Amino acid sequence: MSDGTDKLLEIRNLRVDFPVRGGLFTAVRDVNFSIRKGETFGLVGESGSGKTTIGRAIVRIAQASSGEILFRGRRINGRITRELDSEVVQKIQMIFQDPMASLNERAKVDYIVSEGIINLGKFKNEAERLALVEKALLEVGLLPEFASRFPHEFSGGQRQRIGIARSLIMEPELVICDEPISALDVSIRAQVLNLMSELQKSKGLTYLFIAHDLSVVRFITDRIAVINKGELVELAETEELFAHPLHPYTRALLSAIPVPDPILERKKVLIVYDPASRDYRTDKPAWTEIAAGHFARANEAEAAEYRRLLAR
Amino acid sequence: MADGKAVAAGPPAAVVAKGDAAAGADPALFTFAEFDRDAGERIGWSNYSYWRSTLHMFLRNRVALFLLVLLGTILAFTFLQPLLPNQRSPTLINIDPATGRQFRNLVPSAEYWFGTNSIGQDLWSRIWSGTRTSLLIGIIVGVVEMVLGIAFGAIWGYVRKADRVFTEVYNVLNNIPTTIVLMLLAYIMRPSFQTMVIAMCAAGWHGVARFVRNQIVIIRDREYNLASRCLGTPTHRIIMKNLLPYLVSVIMLQTALSIPGTIGWEVFLTYIGIGLPVSIPSLGNLVNEGRLIMMAPELRYQLIFPTIVVSIITISFYVLGNAFSDASDPRNHV
Ligand SMILES: Nc1ncnc2c1ncn2[C@@H]1O[C@H](COP(=O)(O)OP(=O)(O)OP(=O)(O)O)[C@@H](O)[C@H]1O
Ligand SMILES: [Mg+2]
Repeated sequence: MSDGTDKLLEIRNLRVDFPVRGGLFTAVRDVNFSIRKGETFGLVGESGSGKTTIGRAIVRIAQASSGEILFRGRRINGRITRELDSEVVQKIQMIFQDPMASLNERAKVDYIVSEGIINLGKFKNEAERLALVEKALLEVGLLPEFASRFPHEFSGGQRQRIGIARSLIMEPELVICDEPISALDVSIRAQVLNLMSELQKSKGLTYLFIAHDLSVVRFITDRIAVINKGELVELAETEELFAHPLHPYTRALLSAIPVPDPILERKKVLIVYDPASRDYRTDKPAWTEIAAGHFARANEAEAAEYRRLLAR
Repeated sequence: MADGKAVAAGPPAAVVAKGDAAAGADPALFTFAEFDRDAGERIGWSNYSYWRSTLHMFLRNRVALFLLVLLGTILAFTFLQPLLPNQRSPTLINIDPATGRQFRNLVPSAEYWFGTNSIGQDLWSRIWSGTRTSLLIGIIVGVVEMVLGIAFGAIWGYVRKADRVFTEVYNVLNNIPTTIVLMLLAYIMRPSFQTMVIAMCAAGWHGVARFVRNQIVIIRDREYNLASRCLGTPTHRIIMKNLLPYLVSVIMLQTALSIPGTIGWEVFLTYIGIGLPVSIPSLGNLVNEGRLIMMAPELRYQLIFPTIVVSIITISFYVLGNAFSDASDPRNHV
């Protein structure tokens, strides 16, 4: 499975620091994962765990302090050539968390949607540009006449679809979806999710889907990585992760998913993750492959225990 | 609506009767509506245009509108006044033909509407000429400072690599007291209209640049700007399309307030003796002349008239600036 050829994106030892008063704050450290072409890769963690930062490092809004980000085997962080830069801009796009904040209120939808293709010069004349905008709007279920309006005239769900149209007009291969539905009204979340999965099928997209709870990603992802305080703690195929969670943090997250059955819900035991419960003084934890494709952050003793658990 | 309520509340017989009546009235209301996905999208339609809404909101403010007309009239009149019949030159020293002496300190009369000054010049025409000079200085300096301030402030605020250099340059410039800059430039060049404009611009543009820079730093990392960066939008277009449109209202307010500020500086510079030459009437010159003879109560009209003009201009620009700033803030657009 991991023969290396199907890796669209690979992240090695990524670390991102932010300058804060009195030094550096490490938002993300020691992150390793790769995304295969065509899959939906989930990145799950609580607020402030560094999910957005990883997404931003991939689109190079946040600078990686160390480590490597490889797209189709080529390094895209740090200094890169102009050609590679514009190729990456086109091939990796992002859908933002807050549709209320991510659209330019002073520009018409027409400009917002065509901004990317203007930058790349992907059309020959005005008529072609308008046709591309119209196609992009129709693809996300919006009407072409919306092009002449301003963002504030739209609902949250419509705004998010404008954001999707804006990134898909670039014809990207990898789309980073940063909690694309968490700011939306519950009633339209499914609509946006369905749209995204239709688009994935029709365009062969690869998604990095960021979310803060596991219940959302269970039904749309192929693999999931769980992140806690800037470090990945576990990565596995979605069903494997739900069936055999290894890391105590993953178990705590899983136990927090509400069960739609009041009796079971009452009996459910909430696991609270306590980082102090583990002794890392002598035996340092590392990113370890416990079973094929199932990674966890563990020290030697824990890795051995996890292997025993999986063997049962 | 009322009909519907009655139907719901009434006895079953009434329901049938009313239902029939309604159906008879307009059968189209009671046909089955097909599900139409596009119709579901057609919500919240409005014909919004930023500048039209701004204009609309501005015109609703009657006081501001009045002051705008007043200021416009004053500015137009300063240019028209010399062309009217029977006007004296503002620099002409009027001599009494009977005695051969100057008409000194004549109080306002039918002949000299605002009186004359201590060397016999007509205060009426001097005030209009002075207002024209001062308003022009204020407006030119305001516009030049705004253009320079936006150009440098936008780069300073948005291009991170430039921040350090710009901040150093600003600190140096800002640590030279404005008075010294103005005095130096006024000394180096001959006192004149151009000298005044150049000196004031040199003293004020970096303040505007810092103001713009701070505004840009506040909004530059908002998500919509990050989205533009993801799309590979070049810096100059991010500044023009994403950042400056958001700053229209604060920048206009700043500029409107700077115009009376500049006029105030002009008065001050004249007071310390490095303003415009006496041969060019300006509000600064007029206030200064009035100040010298302020102690004689019967001559105070020479100070009062120019002071009134300065006050009107200051208050008008202040109110106008605020009104425009409110009107151009889309949060106030309904
Ligand atoms: N530009 C920045 N400067 C300083 N610290 C930052 C910056 N951006 C993010 N951080 C910090 O990095 C950490 C991770 O932030 P990040 O936005 O990646 O979290 P997140 O997992 O996306 O959270 P959420 O679910 O709330 O979106 C947070 O503690 C945050 O305060
Ligand atoms: Mg986030």
